[in-house]
Amino acid sequence: MELNEQKTSQCVILGITGRLDTTNYNVLEKKLLELIDDHNEKILVECSKMDYVSSSGLRILLMALKKITMVKGKFVLCGLQENIREIFEISGFTNIFEIYGTQEEALKVF
Amino acid sequence: MLRYIHYTDPNSEEMVRELARIPRCPGTCFFMDINKSTDMKYLGGLKDWGRKLNNTFNNLLYANHFQHHIVKGIGDEMMLYIPDEVLKAKTTNNTCYALLEDIHAGLFLIKNHPDPDLFLNCKVAIHHCSEVYNITFFEGADDYYGSDIDLTARLMTKSIENRIVMSETFYQMVLKDLRALHLAEDSGCLSEVSAPYRELFKGVPVPTEYRYIDV
Repeated sequence: MELNEQKTSQCVILGITGRLDTTNYNVLEKKLLELIDDHNEKILVECSKMDYVSSSGLRILLMALKKITMVKGKFVLCGLQENIREIFEISGFTNIFEIYGTQEEALKVF
Repeated sequence: MLRYIHYTDPNSEEMVRELARIPRCPGTCFFMDINKSTDMKYLGGLKDWGRKLNNTFNNLLYANHFQHHIVKGIGDEMMLYIPDEVLKAKTTNNTCYALLEDIHAGLFLIKNHPDPDLFLNCKVAIHHCSEVYNITFFEGADDYYGSDIDLTARLMTKSIENRIVMSETFYQMVLKDLRALHLAEDSGCLSEVSAPYRELFKGVPVPTEYRYIDV
């Protein structure tokens, strides 16, 4: 998995490429915690190049959502591939995360 | 490889010979039980408990790629058996450590989901088995039998809601994986692992060591 961070005037865009699973979820966890601790309370996770997510990866996204919600920030996801969207649906995530089809659509809500 | 055992003669010598040739099938056995689901069936209708069972089983199985490994499903319990050779051939979740982390994460997601009306909390027992055979006595069923399968069921008696009980055998397999991955022994959910306990389970001639992780 690779992470790509891009700071814009609206938010931080964090791109995930590859597989998010038990071997690397801690890398994403560390990055998200760093961003939140640095008062980046508006985060867009760009998932169009993420082709797998395990329960461990979902756990990190849920923890980030909870932390950012507590400080009244915004944590948004976009570009989920079909198989990832299915995992999100089964996990009951589609109703608790703000999810947009494209980065352009997602940036409008910040 | 699955062997179907079916002889009409109770004293069949051929049956004894065939059984003696069947190889062991080492692997990891997971036993999962959904909590309070019996109470729920008395309190609510099928549309309520059926929905929550569907959601919970899906959540535990799909994200962990276990859907083809159910060997026994009884009521609201299910047992999965993943032979070592199958696990090694997987491209993801192919170590005992990965399996443990994902089971832990699955329970965490259910416990911490913002909508408490979607899923049901679970308890889990895990054992790495060596004394297991891929046999069935019922045509068309894939099944596993052996003393270690029974031991996994015994370990479940030590589990409670949102707890993973694992045999020391499985825990040592996890530690072996961590060393191979150059990760610390307290990585991930293992930072919460208990000290070892020892129990003499019914029908098992020697004490069994186990540990647990509360989610």
